[in-house]
Amino acid sequence: MFQIEPIETRNLDEWPDDAFRSEVRQFLASHYPPELRFPPRRLHFSENKPWYIALAKAGWLTPGWPRQYGGLGLSAGKQLILIEEYERHGCARLNDMGMTMIGPLLIKHGSIAQQEFFLPKILSGAHIWAQGYSEPNAGSDLAALRCEAIADGADWIITGQKTWTTLANDANWIFLLVRTDKSGRKQEGISCFLVDMSLPGITVRPIINLELHDEFCEVFFDQVRVSDSCRVGELNQGWAIAKNLLGFERIYLGSPRQSEQALDRLKLLGERMNLTEDAFFIDRFTRLQLDLEDLKCLFSHFADQLRRGETLGADVSMLKLFQSELYQRITEAMMEFAGEFAGLLEPMGGNRELHPGGAFIAARPTSIYGGTNEIQRNILAKNVLDMPG
Amino acid sequence: MTESDLRLIRESAGGIAPRTGDLKRIRALRFTTHGFDPAIWRQICDLGWPGLALSEAQGGSALGMAAFCALAEELGAALVPEPLISAALAASGLPETHNAAHLAGTNLILPAWQEQPDSLARTWHCQCRDGRLNGRKCFVVQAAAASSFIVTTAQGLALVPAAGEGVQLSVEKTQDGGHFGTLDFTDAPAEPLSADHGLAIEEATLATAATLLGVADRAFAITLDYLKSRSQFGKPIGSFQALQHRMADLKIQLELTRASIAAAAHSYDQGGTEALRLAAISRAKARASDSALLITRQAIQLHGGIGYTDEADIGLYLRKAMVLANLYGSAASHRARFAALSKI
Ligand SMILES: Cc1cc2nc3c(=O)[nH]c(=O)nc-3n(C[C@H](O)[C@H](O)[C@H](O)COP(=O)(O)OP(=O)(O)OC[C@H]3O[C@@H](n4cnc5c(N)ncnc54)[C@H](O)[C@@H]3O)c2cc1C
Repeated sequence: MFQIEPIETRNLDEWPDDAFRSEVRQFLASHYPPELRFPPRRLHFSENKPWYIALAKAGWLTPGWPRQYGGLGLSAGKQLILIEEYERHGCARLNDMGMTMIGPLLIKHGSIAQQEFFLPKILSGAHIWAQGYSEPNAGSDLAALRCEAIADGADWIITGQKTWTTLANDANWIFLLVRTDKSGRKQEGISCFLVDMSLPGITVRPIINLELHDEFCEVFFDQVRVSDSCRVGELNQGWAIAKNLLGFERIYLGSPRQSEQALDRLKLLGERMNLTEDAFFIDRFTRLQLDLEDLKCLFSHFADQLRRGETLGADVSMLKLFQSELYQRITEAMMEFAGEFAGLLEPMGGNRELHPGGAFIAARPTSIYGGTNEIQRNILAKNVLDMPG
Repeated sequence: MTESDLRLIRESAGGIAPRTGDLKRIRALRFTTHGFDPAIWRQICDLGWPGLALSEAQGGSALGMAAFCALAEELGAALVPEPLISAALAASGLPETHNAAHLAGTNLILPAWQEQPDSLARTWHCQCRDGRLNGRKCFVVQAAAASSFIVTTAQGLALVPAAGEGVQLSVEKTQDGGHFGTLDFTDAPAEPLSADHGLAIEEATLATAATLLGVADRAFAITLDYLKSRSQFGKPIGSFQALQHRMADLKIQLELTRASIAAAAHSYDQGGTEALRLAAISRAKARASDSALLITRQAIQLHGGIGYTDEADIGLYLRKAMVLANLYGSAASHRARFAALSKI
């Protein structure tokens, strides 16, 4: 088995929680770039790179990965402490596709050669990944995707279009789902490719999103030649891998990260609006807080499953559903309590933590990406509850 | 106002701001200094819209709130950025001598009344003594375009030129492409006015609810069309029962909003006790604020990825609802006022 020597030599998972928490706080105080605290929007790699590299150098980039692959091997409880402290400190979200999805996927499905080549480059920040699933006519109906790879000797020629590709404008590699067979059921002719974005024939066009930020992109492939060694898993069996990756994505999207941060900000807003003694505000806040605490319990259950090396079931959709909607409800409460400030384009009084309208908009797509919440509910009804139809 | 009178008003609104028109003009004006087009504003004034509900003595046409709400709804549906509601509020406090140029669109006077966020208080800390104005006003909509401000003070209304000494304006952009102004007055020379706004702030509140109705109504229609035309899994997404139920629920909220606003406008125009009239307005504004935010955010959800782009028009409706929802009082503060009034 391929192994990576962990940079962090201490086994932090064995530490008592309190000691671990204060270690994290010290780490943030000494390593987190102060100017990047509470960024107003998601940062590009050119902006968040110092933080990525600081984590990489300390060996802290991938807390959930097993230690033999250079991770910290943390239990869910410890990962939650990390999330809480990062959010409290206002840490920027990184270009984390490689850390949260591609790495775990390669650990499970990649060849030894692929692991050897790709994992260290995720850990060092040399490779920044994008996820190329959705197409203009294949969103919820992902299996309808048409971007195709045609065999040409030992190579493949890829032609087609992906869209809504988050931070493809930062990425130098993309994980692609493509059609390699059109004859059978639409789920059966799909394969996964790891594609170098600098190859000739690839064009990236950023799209301005509702935050007025160039965060997602269209990516066009015009006869892009890739070698067969860039294919992951069996030919035409990509659908199972793709779903597996969505499992990793859903537990990440189900982590309390976003809600945790939003609730801290709702509290600040309550203070700013002199509502901390207001019974209506207190009840509303406390409801959301209890939802968050219960979400953490449910999250631990799934995160520990993952840590034991088990494959996540369809029921992880519950986590994604509840987290995304809790996050949205918190920002909706901000809108209700913010008065006219709710309509501002920029943060209140220049304080990046007080931006109810910005938070409200930023929370909208969490129920769209990673599979819409309607689709997650369909999955729960069909695959978990086994309902007819 | 008969139904056919109201239809005429809606049709004439369509001349300037067709509901189904493209939003190029609106996009081009976003985040510009004034946030709207002075030429279009003069056309709006030529049509007599800012004075639609104003008394004849003040130079208006006294058609009442049912008419004004119909107009505001249409302008909401077309996301019109010109300051109709603010200008009408200003006119209510101006003597006819000043109103002539204001209502003709040659000299825009904007109201500066609010001193606290989300406040329905109608008492003012601003002071106007010996022709000198002191104090602070906030959330003045499209303030950068005003030639003068009509300011509520403890001593009554006062008129102050925007470029006058002792007047300091700072602006903050709003999500819809407009801006709010904060005004600081330090011994600013001001002209005391003898009139007051009467219930005109209430009228502006109700008209804002009607604008929200227009925003929600149009966002709903755009979404309904989208659900019929976008296909996934080999059929229109509008064929999925989960989405049909969602739209059915939103339709109920839309019609409750419409009914509540019509009832509030009717009761306002009929007279009746002030408590009853204000309670009806609070009820309508609370409903409109909540349902417009609900409908526009569901509209984004139902559009999927394209809904989260700035290119898609549906986002413009969300942004407008975000700005108007808490203007002239949030849903929560109107519910609180309703509760207080209905105890009477
Ligand atoms: C901010 C953001 C970032 C994204 N990042 C990426 C990325 O990095 N990589 C990537 O590949 N994709 C990404 N996506 C795309 C995302 O996965 C898709 O937008 C999503 O899967 C929905 O597809 P769609 O946009 O085509 O909407 P559609 O599938 O057209 O859906 C429109 C509406 O119909 C509903 N609907 C569709 N089918 C059904 C059904 N059977 N039952 C009930 N309701 C249904 C949907 O829930 C939605 O409300 C991103 C999207 C966003 C908004």
